[in-house]
Amino acid sequence: MVLCMSVLGLALAAMAFGAATRPERAAQQPAAQPQLAKPHARFFVEPVAQPRIPIDALLAQIENHVRLEHAAAESFLEYPTSALLHSKTSSPFVN
Amino acid sequence: MINPTPDLLMGLDAAQTREFLALGKRLLLSSGAQLFRLGEPAETLYVVQRGRVRLTLPMQVRGSDEEVMVEERIPGQTVGWSALTPPYRFTLTASVPLESEVLSLSREALRAHFEANPAVGQIVALNLAAVVGERLQLFQAMWLREMQRTVELHGA
Repeated sequence: MVLCMSVLGLALAAMAFGAATRPERAAQQPAAQPQLAKPHARFFVEPVAQPRIPIDALLAQIENHVRLEHAAAESFLEYPTSALLHSKTSSPFVN
Repeated sequence: MINPTPDLLMGLDAAQTREFLALGKRLLLSSGAQLFRLGEPAETLYVVQRGRVRLTLPMQVRGSDEEVMVEERIPGQTVGWSALTPPYRFTLTASVPLESEVLSLSREALRAHFEANPAVGQIVALNLAAVVGERLQLFQAMWLREMQRTVELHGA
């Protein structure tokens, strides 16, 4: 009889312990999410995976950027204002 | 297109202009030809007569040196004023993207001419100062635009 009561008590204690600790485990899961840090991993991986534009096209883009910056600077020199000094261009390097 | 009044000769009368131009030698350059390279001794000043001159600087693009255009000169404009300012070395590379013609003027010929004609020397020197000053202001503005973007990217 004593043995049965002991086994029953142990079983109830185990169930109570399980019930008490279950919410804690669930609560721990959201806290663990930041540790995954997947956005950081993708930050480094994705640019490499993107197709590169040919070097000639890239050089043409650089030259176009220089021309646009040159023209913007000339506009500023013709009529020097803060707004013209910092005017935006359509260059893909700054947009 | 030929510009009858090069920027360096503004303010000279017809006789002075004729004498000045007679100091030079016409150079015909085929498409793609190089006029001078970065770092070379600068002994000669050039006035663009026809076509275009591209001024470039080397830039590291994907691990290799590439010539990137920083300025383009058109007929009437002066190229290579490093020939008149110490340490007499070209600070850019000049090439022509299409068949072009330039007038080459050696530093020694110019010095001798200016010594014999100080009034011409003064006018040309002032014109040269305008060319140099214009470039300085232009690149100052371009540099500030880049600085502004750097501040916006990293300093916000």
